[in-house]
Amino acid sequence: MATTTATLTLSSDIVSNALKFSTIATLTDAGGSTGMTQAAGLTRKTTSYASESVIDTTILYRADDYTTNGANKVYIKNTSTTPGEYFTIYLTGDRGGETHTDTDALTELGRLYGGTNGDWAFFPWNAAGGTKEAFTATFADTWAAGDTFTFDGVTVIAGGSGLNENAAGVDAVQFPNWTTSVSGAVVTFTSRTSRADLEIDSTEAVVVTAGDGSAAIATTVTGTKSLSDIYIKPSVETSMTLEHMLFYE
Amino acid sequence: MATTTAALTISSSDLVGDALSLTTTNTLYKAGRTIGLDQTTGMTKVYLTSVSAIDLFPALVEGSIAFTGKTSWVYICNKSEDESEYALITIGGINIGRLYGGDYLWMPWSMKESVNADNHHGDIEIAPSVATGMWFEWTCINEGTEWHAADLAIS
Repeated sequence: MATTTATLTLSSDIVSNALKFSTIATLTDAGGSTGMTQAAGLTRKTTSYASESVIDTTILYRADDYTTNGANKVYIKNTSTTPGEYFTIYLTGDRGGETHTDTDALTELGRLYGGTNGDWAFFPWNAAGGTKEAFTATFADTWAAGDTFTFDGVTVIAGGSGLNENAAGVDAVQFPNWTTSVSGAVVTFTSRTSRADLEIDSTEAVVVTAGDGSAAIATTVTGTKSLSDIYIKPSVETSMTLEHMLFYE
Repeated sequence: MATTTAALTISSSDLVGDALSLTTTNTLYKAGRTIGLDQTTGMTKVYLTSVSAIDLFPALVEGSIAFTGKTSWVYICNKSEDESEYALITIGGINIGRLYGGDYLWMPWSMKESVNADNHHGDIEIAPSVATGMWFEWTCINEGTEWHAADLAIS
């Protein structure tokens, strides 16, 4: 069990009676005293765009990759030395049913400005992902060695006529954007990320056989978008560098 | 001009192979300037006995563009000594994360107003996990905010 502490010290003469306090948090897993043992290490990322008009958001952390409702903590710092340059932090949010403009489809948390000592933030993150799309490919009819099943940029060549054998062959392959499992002649594909824009059919999962071999496609789970991916967006197109780290369960 | 500094030290001798010792400090300035923030809600200490979500800091209402883009910093600390008791922190109804007993957050806040009337997308809210009583502290340091008119109707 690791021991990690985060100490915040705040001091100010903003009110007549000077404000000064320090608070220490020991980073533990949710609801217990077990020290947090995983971290996405301290990272630096530089953003740069050809012009202001093409500045876009970047995802720092995808909720799908982490435990939902864990005691995750995020550290982000703008390392720019220019006071007017800022990164805006967003969560995916959910603005269903509304008309969106610009980044309004995201939920704006706040801005980290640069400066002699750039702004930083340290906050919890519940990493609420969405639902991952899933579909099945059911191998049927007459297959032969050399027939192919192509999906997600990967072509799998049938080893013989056995339906279960060919389904297992597809399952054995690693697909860039999908994971698989197999049961008999049915391969189940599950998207690696939560997305609401996927609907797979036979135009994406293509079978080429010498006979009448088929792999019927059926959606089994309709995907939805992630609810709390963390995005950042720089205020200028010139280089800006962000430092960030995630502590997670 | 007021001077407010916030410092963070994260340290661990055994989280990763090399000892982690991260220290960062910043002075809180008005947006894009080097003039110190000069307004605050003051430090609040409360004992909440309901799991209902409450607004800590209300966002701007429609049309108050004079405050858009101002800098605000938010500190919230769950002072519960029971590590299983948490508060769900949300912004405009969107989950940010859970503060378990002893956890705190320090983050910028855009108090962004909605493009749609009265939705208050930027409100910061907390919801305690238990109704048996939990202590919290919070403050907001900023360069100005909108104080809602008396009896403001919010749908």
